[in-house]
Amino acid sequence: MIVAERKTIPEIVDILKGHKNILVLGCGTCVTVCLAGGEREVSIMASALRIASRAQNLGFKVSELTIERQCDNIFIEQAAEAIEKADAVLSLGCGAGVQAIAERFAKKPVYAGLNTKFLGILEERGTWTEKCAQCGECVLAEYGGICPVTRCAKHLLNGPCGGSREDRCEVNPDRACAWQLIYKRLKDIGQLDRLEKISAPKKWGTSLSGGPRVIVREDHRI
Amino acid sequence: MAGDGEIRKNEMKPDSKLASKIEGKDFIVTAEYVPPAGTSAAAVEAGAVYLRDGLTAVNAADNVNGIAMSSLAASLALMKAGVEPVYQLVTRDRNRIALESDLLGAASLGIKNVLCLTGYHQSLMGCPESANVFDIDSIQLIAAVKKMNEGSLIDGRKIDGGFSMLIGAVANPSLKPLDLNMIRLRKKIAAGASFIQTQAVFDVEAFKLWLEAARKEGLTERAAILAGVWPLTGADEAKLLAKNYTDIDIPAGVIARLEKAGDAEAQKKEGLAICAETVKKLKGLPGLRGIHIISPANEAAVPQVMAALK
Repeated sequence: MIVAERKTIPEIVDILKGHKNILVLGCGTCVTVCLAGGEREVSIMASALRIASRAQNLGFKVSELTIERQCDNIFIEQAAEAIEKADAVLSLGCGAGVQAIAERFAKKPVYAGLNTKFLGILEERGTWTEKCAQCGECVLAEYGGICPVTRCAKHLLNGPCGGSREDRCEVNPDRACAWQLIYKRLKDIGQLDRLEKISAPKKWGTSLSGGPRVIVREDHRI
Repeated sequence: MAGDGEIRKNEMKPDSKLASKIEGKDFIVTAEYVPPAGTSAAAVEAGAVYLRDGLTAVNAADNVNGIAMSSLAASLALMKAGVEPVYQLVTRDRNRIALESDLLGAASLGIKNVLCLTGYHQSLMGCPESANVFDIDSIQLIAAVKKMNEGSLIDGRKIDGGFSMLIGAVANPSLKPLDLNMIRLRKKIAAGASFIQTQAVFDVEAFKLWLEAARKEGLTERAAILAGVWPLTGADEAKLLAKNYTDIDIPAGVIARLEKAGDAEAQKKEGLAICAETVKKLKGLPGLRGIHIISPANEAAVPQVMAALK
């Protein structure tokens, strides 16, 4: 899922200053699961904005709505009436959601209330970790299902750097060294010979380096 | 076995002093020079004064602990000062385009040795807010330079005019497990590294285990291993290195010995004494071809370390 984190309230208040009717718009998918932008967080955000408005005399009139997916026009339509009524939208969707809303409502200011962080998993209660850098050409088969592009701070494809110590990363001892995990995993599944091969330079053209990506499925187009 | 430091038919033979020393049998001494965070080529020349006698070549470090004069410019300044440079190149800051472009430039200026590294993460060298590149890793860089020695760029185009660079790489003997460490070393040599400079050795017994593993695999025959040694300037430096860099393994006993030595001057002397003892223990180890002296901003210590070889 996409994992995001809320911006600070003072930062959001600063962004919204000057607007009166504000719609706080939540999203029922990824950001709900990672507890950043679902119905509950929309409600908390709306309360925080009302308190800030009262304290600073900003005149905010805050309304709330959460739709199933901000990244899908079918669901965005369900919010059309509320968005039209508002002076500005504070989206608690991910970066894709914010842009989808902004594109659909060309004359409406739409602001991001979250910082979209990464594609990851719920590691344990209250902890999310990044697993995929969306490089566009998956190499997981080569590395025992552990991604060095994402989980090694240097994206190394041919083994650990010299700074890997006691299974920890040189950048941050709180972080596991991806290469120690890859080594152990390949050993466990009897595929250590994969590491002997010199991996060629990655073709980054499939990643964001090649520009924003588009997938067209002719079989699904109308 | 092709591809491992041997020169192929269509490959230009590197003609550096370091290359011919590796061909021979002599004990090799190299050192590392860290360029200043400034513009003065004269500063490089002043450092080079200590780096001439008895040394085969001197590395020009590539932005190792903060933004500094480029290793390419520093290599040129070393060359002008009569020192053969080993041009260090990290993949952290440059993509394959910039790396190969700089390598062509380096060759055109007469630089004949290159050390291929990934480099410390930018957060360890004082620029945590910088984006990193890591388009390719050190092993891929070694392979790319080897391909340049064979006449081609990474995009397949031919190099106009000759290109010949002796390729070196680094290893950290304290990287565990040993099996994984050896995989990495094997790959570096298979990719084309002719010499390997190691991270500083403070525990000779631990280093011997690593060297012996490399020797058993025949790796010490395929590439010249140069053991890193570091004349510590005092307990403060040792503690700082141990705290900030996970690739530098300084035993607590070494730090205690430095502390016990007394004031700053006495600690500096003790650091040199420890280094000299290490050099003496290293010299003559089967499979070891030389030493690599690492003494950032302390070039004056290099001749003092070398005195231990006599």
